[in-house]
Amino acid sequence: MFSTYPGQVVVDHPISVPIEHRFDPYVDNGGTLLSIAGEDFCVVAADTRQSEGYSINSRYVPKSVKLSDKTVISMGGCYADCLTLTKRIQQSMEWYQHAHGKTMSTAAVAQMLSIMLYQKRFFPFYSWCILGGLDEEGKGAVYTYDPVGSYERETCRCAGSASALIQPFLDNQINFKNQETQKHTQSLEKVLRITKDSFTSATERDIYTGDYLEIFVITSKGVEVQKMDLKKD
Amino acid sequence: MSIMEYNGGAVVAMVGKNCVAIACDKRLGVQAMTISTEFKKTFQATPKTYIGLPGLATDVQTLAEKFRFKVNMYRLKEEREIEPRTLAHLVSSTLYERRFGPWFVEPVIAGLDKENRPFICSTDLIGCINFAKDFVVSGTTSNQLYGMCESLWEPDLEPEDLFETISQSLMNAVDRDCLSGWGAEVTVITPDKIITRTLKSRQD
Repeated sequence: MFSTYPGQVVVDHPISVPIEHRFDPYVDNGGTLLSIAGEDFCVVAADTRQSEGYSINSRYVPKSVKLSDKTVISMGGCYADCLTLTKRIQQSMEWYQHAHGKTMSTAAVAQMLSIMLYQKRFFPFYSWCILGGLDEEGKGAVYTYDPVGSYERETCRCAGSASALIQPFLDNQINFKNQETQKHTQSLEKVLRITKDSFTSATERDIYTGDYLEIFVITSKGVEVQKMDLKKD
Repeated sequence: MSIMEYNGGAVVAMVGKNCVAIACDKRLGVQAMTISTEFKKTFQATPKTYIGLPGLATDVQTLAEKFRFKVNMYRLKEEREIEPRTLAHLVSSTLYERRFGPWFVEPVIAGLDKENRPFICSTDLIGCINFAKDFVVSGTTSNQLYGMCESLWEPDLEPEDLFETISQSLMNAVDRDCLSGWGAEVTVITPDKIITRTLKSRQD
């Protein structure tokens, strides 16, 4: 009647098999972030939509946090992990301030974050971090991380759900790849224009990106925040 | 490992002012290994229409030949060239015929109709047509291409500017995809001529 495969057993009564019930600790809350380093400034931008699957949890949950007058961190991925990681960084920075009498430099925060992430190597923080700020010479600095702490200083980087859409655009406009234009550092106005265009384009094609865009501009004068609308569909 | 990512490839088409452009990369790989750097994925269907076929390479070759056959038969029976919109529907039905064992390609069509109006569209692997007014993308690099095209495209680009725009979109997008690249071929179709240029990009 039925053809059987080798090793297959056909029975006429229900049989039970043990099933493992597991709790998946990770959730992806979506969103996109980017950071661009200039000659004497740094721009950190992120959208503010928080989602879970096809639902929107909130239209305004900021992904970026100001750590000091010189450093801003932005994180995407699992929001719970991002919140806890931010809290731990801020606590460590406060300990440092009391122990050494000065604010942690951007490079020091960068290395500390890498160590913090690797300490949870076997149950990682599901967070895509980008650290932006000014280095000790006053030049713009962007540090990018993977979830377990591998980090590198770069000129520009985007992370999150629309990173594949925006990264080639940044390669072309900031690093002048595949272009004959002489490499030069862009002005703040140009960088802000590129940032806004990146997000409006990403919002068109990525469902997890939209609602509002928050841009942190770090200069020697401090940190300034701009907020603009993105499409809410 | 997805079957659509076995060989790699990227195709993009854009609409300009009284012209269209279609571009593809030239890599043929077997997963991580590159086999050929001369595997173009665009084919001329009629004097004013091109089809781009990214996806599984064996299906790319087979469907290129199938469409060449069908377009030739159409020309013999109708005694005229097939219009791009009709070709789109022909491609769609050919793919849907294999609904439950599909061809692993996601074609892109670009051309000028008999009044020289620009036409582009893309379909998924089972024939759902996307009639776009601006640009269409397909292949392993589609996310990167969406980002580039969405930022760089503007309406009513002249043929020379359209060439620059589509070239920059393709070259920067494939540089972020390890399965595509190794050069590019860009074709710009205008009412009086078709110009095909080969670009040298990062050879990795």
